[in-house]
Amino acid sequence: MNFLRGVMGGQSAGPQHTEAETIQKLCDRVASSTLLDDRRNAVRALKSLSKKYRLEVGIQAMEHLIHVLQTDRSDSEIIGYALDTLYNIISNDEEEEVEENSTRQSEDLGSQFTEIFIKQQENVTLLLSLLEEFDFHVRWPGVKLLTSLLKQLGPQVQQIILVSPMGVSRLMDLLADSREVIRNDGVLLLQALTRSNGAIQKIVAFENAFERLLDIITEEGNSDGGIVVEDCLILLQNLLKNNNSNQNFFKEGSYIQRMKPWFEVGDDNSGWSAQKVTNLHLMLQLVRVLVSPTNPPGATSSCQKAMFQCGLLQQLCTILMATGVPADILTETINTVSEVIRGCQVNQDYFAFVNAPSNPPRPAIVVLLMSMVNERQPFVLRCAVLYCFQCFLYKNQKGQGEIVSTLLPSTIDATGNSVSAGQLLCGGLFSTDSLSNWCAAVALAHALQENATQKEQLLRVQLATSIGNPPVSLLQQCTNILSQGSKIQTRVGLLMLLCTWLSNCPIAVTHFLHNSANVPFLTGQIAENLGEEEQLVQGLCALLLGISIYFNDNSLESYMKEKLKQLIEKRIGKENFIEKLGFISKHELYSRASQKPQPNFPSPEYMIFDHEFTKLVKELEGVITKAIYKSSEEDKKEEEVKKTLEQHDSIVTHYKNMIREQDLQLEELRQQVSTLKCQNEQLQTAVTQQVSQIQQHKDQYNLLKVQLGKDNQHQVSNSDGAQMNGIQPEEIGRLREEIKELKSNQELLQSQLAEKDSLIENLKSSHTSSGMNEQSSATASAQDSEQVAELKQELATLKSQLNSQSVEITKLQTEKQELLQKSEAFAKSVPVQGESETIIAAKTTDVEGRLSALLQETKELKNEIKALSEERIAIKEQLDSSNSTIAILQNEKNQLELEITDSKKEQDDLLVLLADQDQKILSLKNKLKDLGHPVEEEDELESGDQEDEDDEIEDGGKDQDHI
Amino acid sequence: MTYAYLFKYIIIGDTGVGKSCLLLQFTDKRFQPVHDLTIGVEFGARMVNIDGKQIKLQIWDTAGQESFRSITRSYYRGAAGALLVYDITRRETFNHLTSWLEDARQHSSSNMVIMLIGNKSDLESRRDVKREEGEAFAREHGLIFMETSAKTACNVEEAFINTAKEIYRKIQQGLFDVHNEANGIKIGPQQSISTPVGSSTSQRNSRDIGSNSGCC
Ligand SMILES: Nc1nc2c(ncn2[C@@H]2O[C@H](COP(=O)(O)OP(=O)(O)OP(=O)(O)O)[C@@H](O)[C@H]2O)c(=O)[nH]1
Ligand SMILES: [Mg+2]
Repeated sequence: MNFLRGVMGGQSAGPQHTEAETIQKLCDRVASSTLLDDRRNAVRALKSLSKKYRLEVGIQAMEHLIHVLQTDRSDSEIIGYALDTLYNIISNDEEEEVEENSTRQSEDLGSQFTEIFIKQQENVTLLLSLLEEFDFHVRWPGVKLLTSLLKQLGPQVQQIILVSPMGVSRLMDLLADSREVIRNDGVLLLQALTRSNGAIQKIVAFENAFERLLDIITEEGNSDGGIVVEDCLILLQNLLKNNNSNQNFFKEGSYIQRMKPWFEVGDDNSGWSAQKVTNLHLMLQLVRVLVSPTNPPGATSSCQKAMFQCGLLQQLCTILMATGVPADILTETINTVSEVIRGCQVNQDYFAFVNAPSNPPRPAIVVLLMSMVNERQPFVLRCAVLYCFQCFLYKNQKGQGEIVSTLLPSTIDATGNSVSAGQLLCGGLFSTDSLSNWCAAVALAHALQENATQKEQLLRVQLATSIGNPPVSLLQQCTNILSQGSKIQTRVGLLMLLCTWLSNCPIAVTHFLHNSANVPFLTGQIAENLGEEEQLVQGLCALLLGISIYFNDNSLESYMKEKLKQLIEKRIGKENFIEKLGFISKHELYSRASQKPQPNFPSPEYMIFDHEFTKLVKELEGVITKAIYKSSEEDKKEEEVKKTLEQHDSIVTHYKNMIREQDLQLEELRQQVSTLKCQNEQLQTAVTQQVSQIQQHKDQYNLLKVQLGKDNQHQVSNSDGAQMNGIQPEEIGRLREEIKELKSNQELLQSQLAEKDSLIENLKSSHTSSGMNEQSSATASAQDSEQVAELKQELATLKSQLNSQSVEITKLQTEKQELLQKSEAFAKSVPVQGESETIIAAKTTDVEGRLSALLQETKELKNEIKALSEERIAIKEQLDSSNSTIAILQNEKNQLELEITDSKKEQDDLLVLLADQDQKILSLKNKLKDLGHPVEEEDELESGDQEDEDDEIEDGGKDQDHI
Repeated sequence: MTYAYLFKYIIIGDTGVGKSCLLLQFTDKRFQPVHDLTIGVEFGARMVNIDGKQIKLQIWDTAGQESFRSITRSYYRGAAGALLVYDITRRETFNHLTSWLEDARQHSSSNMVIMLIGNKSDLESRRDVKREEGEAFAREHGLIFMETSAKTACNVEEAFINTAKEIYRKIQQGLFDVHNEANGIKIGPQQSISTPVGSSTSQRNSRDIGSNSGCC
């Protein structure tokens, strides 16, 4: 109030006395008139004066106007006038064009009146309740007034609204108002309401703001919509920027999918109005809000995935490759694509395959790089391309490899038909445009970031210089250009590339040191007393030299660590060297670059530091300083300690590995044992089963044996009789007949013999009586003797026949004799035989039947026994084999158990050894510590314990709480 | 991922009872042993399946500290379900239930399903509130009741799902106007497309719903 009085006093020449009086009169009328019409007219009059005599009306009428709001709610007209008047007093919006020089003053006015208004929190609550009034005359000025209040004193008004019941929620209803003016001003109100207030942003989102706003944007025709779309987009940005909870809600509500149509701007678009450009710009920024590198990594990556899945990234790439897109939009699209792919392998892989619709199609990356190294392209566009390239390579070893490979001799396209990324980068690196040099150097450095393989690969790159001269390595060419003293930007770029290249890569350091011109160049640069603008280059040279020492593997005799350090001592001086090194991080542009990954520079002169490089500096500055300050003795000692530590480490790791392996083995063996045990059990049950089966079989067998024994006795008693009856009476008869036949045969033969004998007698007598005719008798006698011989022969055969027959007869006779004897014995043993031959015969047949049955049975039993014994043998065999398997298993088990105990013992030994080693390491560490070398505490083993402890502490804390 | 319905939940109750832990266990299957005081409100979401229907749960975990009460009150309206949580090892958190319930009933739509949760059931040795007391309170005020442990995940899934089942049942009974988003319920994108296909389908649908509610 003091302030206001001062202002009034200063303005004494301002309003005429009459106006002040008029205002006073009007105020009196508003306060005291009992007629509504009268009051309404007075308020209306105040309203008309409120713009011109803002201060006077504000001071004199505010109180009365608020009173009207409280008491005259039934009349929307007077409420409307009162709200309008208050708006005029508080708002600075309308004032600006009236008096430009007093803007500052009027701003103060606005905030002062706001302060007065909100001093009574009920006033704001009253205003909130008036906004529920549907009447246009109330709602609209109410919205505007509240918006003004929020613009004047945002945080205070926000706080009041936040604590008034359902304050925020009620304001959300404005978005659903069918009257566009109110809806649109409602959007502006919500913009002011949500500005930098996370709690309100969340409530607004909870009240379905995303849905509503996206609906409005769609209804209005996306980017073709008017300023409403712009306002909605700004509100969306308010709700999402740096608000993880809302971003998560946005993503989970599948609203990312609804952004895709925003970017469906075809190639054939007829024109880009300023509004459309603005809208699209905001749309792109909204995408970036969701995938910003400063968001929590998990949040960004899930949004990146969603953007690929719903085709948003693809849509953005279409814009990227489209023609006729305004440079502003194109640039922002590149930045957006950059952040959508950054560190997300799937999206990066997709981007690698995006082609420009040129003929022949070229990879988008190549087309973009062409712009980066093209002097005629706008600076912001070139920065965007560099960013895109960096994001493509960020955490993308595959992409890095692909880029570097386009530089390697084997893959360079000999036909020269297509330009490769590598060629463009080399072209940029060595062009006359320092901006191109810087960009290409930084881009190439990003292809090497955290990728030792590519750092080594890049050493292979050879460049053809001029015809006739031998090719020179890329590394060499970089140092050559460096020493030629080109522009600062160029040298800074190249030095950043070299530092990145050589860090963590001893082979590259060796390559670098191999060129004997390099070290003198660096020491020269650092030692010289140069102007301020050269300080950064000096710092970078110091860093490069430091890297050459720190990552030096002492493989070059002339440039061993120690020698380089001595060189620094001699030529530069340690202090001086460290001071120069410090120039980098003390540079005014350094901290700016270290904040965000995006290369974002107000103008080309500011393009000095790369974000990733600032990380490298942070990492190396300390260790290099330390390395330089260390005396050679310390160094040696440290080296030794380091070596022994390394040795110990390697021993420990070796043992650790061994233990791990043995643990694995142990585990395996344990499993084997358990499976074997299991198998063993199974087999044992099988064996017991089989044993019981065998027992059963044995029992059966015994039973059968017993049965068989009985049968056999029975059989034996019967078979005696059978043998007695073995010779049948029929047979006897038959034999007798045979004998008879043979006898008659013999008789026949004897009679024939007698005939022959008589014939022979006859012939003898006739021979002796004929002696007259000697001749005839001689022939006759010859004939006779022939006949005789024949007869004699016949006789001999007959005689032998007879002989054999008589032998046969004797044989038969003895047989007959035997048979007779037997039948006699039989007759004796069977007394009944004597009674009746028929009975005997019947009995015999009976016995014979039984006998054959028994025989049959016996045969069957015999078969069965045979089968059973076969089975038994088989079972026995089985048993034997299972017994042997069991034995084998038992053996194996024993062996395994032995092995386990062995490995346990071994492990114990190792643990002891390990403890020993630990002890040793500890002592060495202590020694190291004593030497002033910081030792990293290895606490892998302890961390688990610590967690437990934490738990306990936690629990303890809760306990206390509880008490 | 499309869904048939979307339900909005809020989690309320005294500070330190384990509201954020319950949400974290439900969405990420993790437990956070350190009390990370919630400032204002945090959002979480997960899909569940009820009767073969995909239902998206959007959950707002509110701060239990008194100073945030005015902020968290804004979330009652527009929530279809609320998990009212107390800590079975701290009786005062149980004693405060009445005031929480009053708050909820005052600011929410009358149909809001409230699930009473006695959390930290793993700390049986330090139990200060009997299960029967929780059951009785729930019975008295018409709430569903469960004891959970955000630490062991015991009943956590069930607490969220049973609440959803109850809301779903109320929808089928026609107690919720699913077209009014202020009730904290939204029909999924596919659902809203399939509804206006023809009167016959919608009739069949309504009959289906009727028969379903009959068997429940
Ligand atoms: N033993 C046990 N501890 C739990 C359980 N749930 C939560 N806690 C612990 O209780 C403490 C508080 O949990 P929070 O989930 O952060 O509590 P909150 O209800 O969200 O608290 P506010 O955010 O302040 O409202 C933490 O230390 C948790 O580890 C549980 O089921 N069992
Ligand atoms: Mg919490």
